[in-house]
Parts: sequence; C-alpha cells; structure tokens
Amino acid sequence: MRSHPADYELVAPGNLPSVLSLLAQEPGTWLPIAGGTDLMVQYAAGHLAARKFVSIWNLPELRRIEILPGEIRVGAGCTYTDLIENALVNREFPLLTSAARWTGGVANQNRGTLGGNIVNASPAADSLPALLMYGAELILVSVRGERRVLYENFHTGYRKTQCAADEMIQFVILPRQFSNYRAYTRKIGARNAQAISKVCLAALGRVAGGVVEDIRLAVGSVAPIPFRLTETEKGIRGKRIDPALILLAKETVAREIQPIDDIRSSARYRRAVTANLVAEFLNGFNEAGNKKSSVLTRWNSLPSEEAELEILPCCGSNSWARQMAALRPIENEDSLLAASSKIWRSLTEADWVEAFAHHPRIGHVVAPSTAPARSAQWSSEEQQKVGAAENDVLAALMEGNRTYEQRFRRIFIVCATGKSAHTILDILQRRLRNDDQAELQESAEQQRQITSLRLKKWISE
Amino acid sequence: MSDLSETATKSDITFVVNGKAVTVRAFAMERLLDVLRLQLGLTGAKEGCGEGECGSCSVLVDGVLVNSCLIPVLQASGTHITTIEGLAFDQRLHALQQAFLDCGGAQCGICTPGMILAAAHLLNKIPQPTSADIREGLSGNLCRCTGYMQIFEAVAAAARRGAQ
Repeated sequence: MRSHPADYELVAPGNLPSVLSLLAQEPGTWLPIAGGTDLMVQYAAGHLAARKFVSIWNLPELRRIEILPGEIRVGAGCTYTDLIENALVNREFPLLTSAARWTGGVANQNRGTLGGNIVNASPAADSLPALLMYGAELILVSVRGERRVLYENFHTGYRKTQCAADEMIQFVILPRQFSNYRAYTRKIGARNAQAISKVCLAALGRVAGGVVEDIRLAVGSVAPIPFRLTETEKGIRGKRIDPALILLAKETVAREIQPIDDIRSSARYRRAVTANLVAEFLNGFNEAGNKKSSVLTRWNSLPSEEAELEILPCCGSNSWARQMAALRPIENEDSLLAASSKIWRSLTEADWVEAFAHHPRIGHVVAPSTAPARSAQWSSEEQQKVGAAENDVLAALMEGNRTYEQRFRRIFIVCATGKSAHTILDILQRRLRNDDQAELQESAEQQRQITSLRLKKWISE
Repeated sequence: MSDLSETATKSDITFVVNGKAVTVRAFAMERLLDVLRLQLGLTGAKEGCGEGECGSCSVLVDGVLVNSCLIPVLQASGTHITTIEGLAFDQRLHALQQAFLDCGGAQCGICTPGMILAAAHLLNKIPQPTSADIREGLSGNLCRCTGYMQIFEAVAAAARRGAQ
C-alpha cells in the first residue's frame, strides 16, 4: 500500500554538523536521505520502516572530490554524474566510472549518490565491486568524531553495515595505487541502463611476460553482498596465462560463488557467466601478447637463409639471426621477445660487437655501409629526438662519441627511442666512467632493448 | 522510536517553476511530481512507474534532469524547475518540440514530455551528440509504443537545427 506523506517527517538542516547532532540526539530515529533514488522507491511502495528523514542532499561537506597525492576522497554525497564527469576518476578509477554509467539512466545518475549506494548495500549495486577492487576505505563521521574503516569489512550482511546509528559516511577514500593495472568490468543484465545486473564482474590485473604478477577479482549480484574471489585470485597469481590456467580459474570461480535463482536469473546461468567473464578478462591479457602477426606467420615458413636475412636488421649479429631462425616456428610476440633475449645473452663478446657495429654513431644518422637499409631507417627513427637538439649539445655528443671510441674501441650503444640528445649525453658521460666489463654488459643490455623494439616494429608491419 | 500517531504538518515551500516563483503548502515528503500535477496543474510530467525506472515524470531542477517521482518536495525548495510546459517560449515551440512533431517522435504521448526534457538536458551538455550519445542520454526514458527510432531522429534533427 502506498505511503501517506502526512505520516512522514522530513527536515533539511542544510549543513553537516546539524545533521550529525540530530542523528546523535535520537539515534536510530532519523534516516539520512540524499538523492532518494532508492529510499523514495521504498517509500512509495510503503516498504519503509523509518518515519523520520533528514535530508543530506547537496550538503557541501559531502559533495566534493579532494585529490591528494596518495589518494582521492570522494564525498559520499557525490552523484554518479559527478564521478562520470571527473577526469581524474575517469583516468585512474575506470571501474568506478563504468559502474556509474551503468547505474540507472541519466536522471538517476544525477541524483543517486555513491554513499547512498554503499549504505543501501544492495547486492546488485554496480559500484560496489569496483570499490572492492580499488581497496576503498570509508570515513565514517558522527558527533563523536571520525573513523576510517576498510570498505571490504563494511558490509556485515544483507543490507547491514558497520555504520552505527548516529554515524554516516562522509568520504570514500580511493588509494591511487592501481593505475598501472589492466582494468576490466562487465555487467550482464537485460539492458545496460535501468536494469539490475544478473552478474557484474570488476577486475584488475598486472601481467609481465605472460605471468600474472597480481590479480583482483570482485563480483556483484551473486551473493548477498559483493565479494572478492579470493580463492580464484590465489589460484591465478604467479602463474602463466594459458588454456589450462583459464580452465582452472573457471572451475574455481564456479566453486567459489553461491548464486541464487531469482526473477532476474538462475543460479546455473550466473555461475556459468561469472566463470566466463573471468576467462574473458584473462584472455584479454593473452591477446595483447598473443596477437597473431601475419609477418611472423610468413617468416615461420621461409627457408632458413631468407629467414635469417629478414630478421638480421633487428640485431646485426649473424649468430643471433641464425639461432632465431633455427627456433622457428615462433608463435607470437611474447615468445619472439623471450627467445631473442635468451639467445642474445648467451652470445660471445665478438657476436655482441658485431651487432654494435651495425649502428650509426649517435648524432650521425648515416649507418655503416654494412648495415641493411632497414636497419638504417630504424636507426634514424630511433634517433628522431636527437635530431631536434641544439648545435652545442650535438657537438658535445660528437666529442663524447670520439672519447668513447678511443677508450672502448667500438661505438657507443644506447637505446635512443624517446630519449633527447641531452639525456643521451648524460648517459654517455656517466658510462665513460665504467670499467671495460661493466660497459660491455651495459652496451649489451642496450642492444637487447633496441632489438626488442625493432622486433615489435617488424612483426606489426 | 517513531510514533505513528505523530503526524507531520504542512509547511510553505517556495521555488521557481517555468520562470515564475510559487509557494506551495505541502507535506515535506510529498513527491515533487504530485505537487506539480495536483497543486500547480502542471500535468505534463506523467506518473508511469513511480519508481524512477521509466522517466515519464522527468523535469529539470536547476537545469539537471531528474525523476520528479523520487524527489520529496522539500528538496526542491529554492530551486528553479522547468517542466514541459515551460519549454516553449513566447507561443513558439522549442526546437525539440518542433522536431518531435516533424519526425513523428510522439505516438501515445505519455513518454513525450520526459523524452523532450531528457533531450534538452542532453543537448545542453552535448550540442552535437553522436547517435550513441543520444541513446545514452535517453536511456532512462522508456517508450512503450516503441517509437525509439523516430525519437532518436527527432533529437538528431533538433541538434542539426542548433537547438539547445
């Protein structure tokens, strides 16, 4: 049955201290109401137990985003639109922006608040898995003062939280430590806007050389509160992403979640789809390092001599080129780079010096006549920034090159891509103080980096 | 604890609607939608679902698109409200209204006021929206006659004519 407005009180003190003292005077009596996108629905349906409301809509103390070096503080009264329109939130916390975009339609995004979404603690709130992913903390405030709690521990059960009767959330703290993670989130619902999720996955991961360094997975709508898939995370962390790992991850996910049948979906569907979403996230990493290259496919089928000749411009050591060609077929970029580094490190000093000799002097864009044309072209691209330097820097570089060549009897090798002449000059002057062995190792490492960049260019041509 | 015999009293709440200051006497928890329709006779905003799902009660509060069924009238105190009745200016239809007419963007008409206000809010933020922008901007407004294509077309046409 519909509620009658005469049975309900609503006051709007207009500032945070007044709201807090009201909450303290009669604990548990006054329910804060912000944009009303949730409470007004329950109110209209006659499902609200509370009879007294205190408006916190648009309180200035709750509606600001503070940017600090290590974290950002989002006022609990910030709307989804506030989040969507904040450039920093967009850049560093894309999972949260995506969730904000999925929440309701524009009108609800204009009124629904992050704090409201948290306190209301709906199992299907799309922003909550994102908060779990970013290790969010909450600042709870009351007349007694402030306290900081980990968001992960805030929900204590279905629509139950750690908030005391006289407390409310003032800020949601987002630590700025995940900007170098790959972010993935997907909501499965009947439609994107205005539809409650059947399943929502938010994920962050960092992969290097095909191995998962760190992974964070959170899922909404499959349990009374959104939660981390800690078992699945544990099973994936430190492992190489391959079909066996993805299968293991899917099995672990299916075991780890306990979804229910309800009007929106079935437990069986939710279990299968959650596992598939985790697989999609992991496959995304693989695709980046696994990109099928038509160049590589063609190269794999060339006769040995032609294959050696084609790859030689990437690194001018004949021994390296021969061993690379002998390793064929090489499946993808990841394996190509791994093989190259391994072979390079196993070569002799003579092989290394042979490769160094294929490069032009830094500041000289004319490659030695022994270098293949493609190598010369790459050299000029790599040294692009050097060309823009002033004459005195170039002169100092020339002088440094001469000193280096007299001292080490070979040319100075540096991975110049993206480096200015100034930077290179600094590096050169530092390296002139190296002893022979240290300088050989450092040159070899620079050549290894140059080779990797050239291999990437080559196979994406 | 709250006592059911304790009933709220009405108070005077003042805001500006379609450029005119008005004071209504209402319970603080009355829905803005009901006050607009029943007290002020502005029946352009419709009650569809009554729970913020359909957008037929859309109005602009301080230029921001909202569902008036979810706003307690006290929270509208001191604001500037625009309803569909306030969009035409000086007997001339707003460019969006004209475009909806021209493109057949209205069938039964229940969703139309909300659609037009959502479109006005969108064009205010993004004067030249892509078709994805239009779909996203109107995603909270449902049309049960399923005339979406003509509606999207009308918004695009209004944008081309420079409506804002």
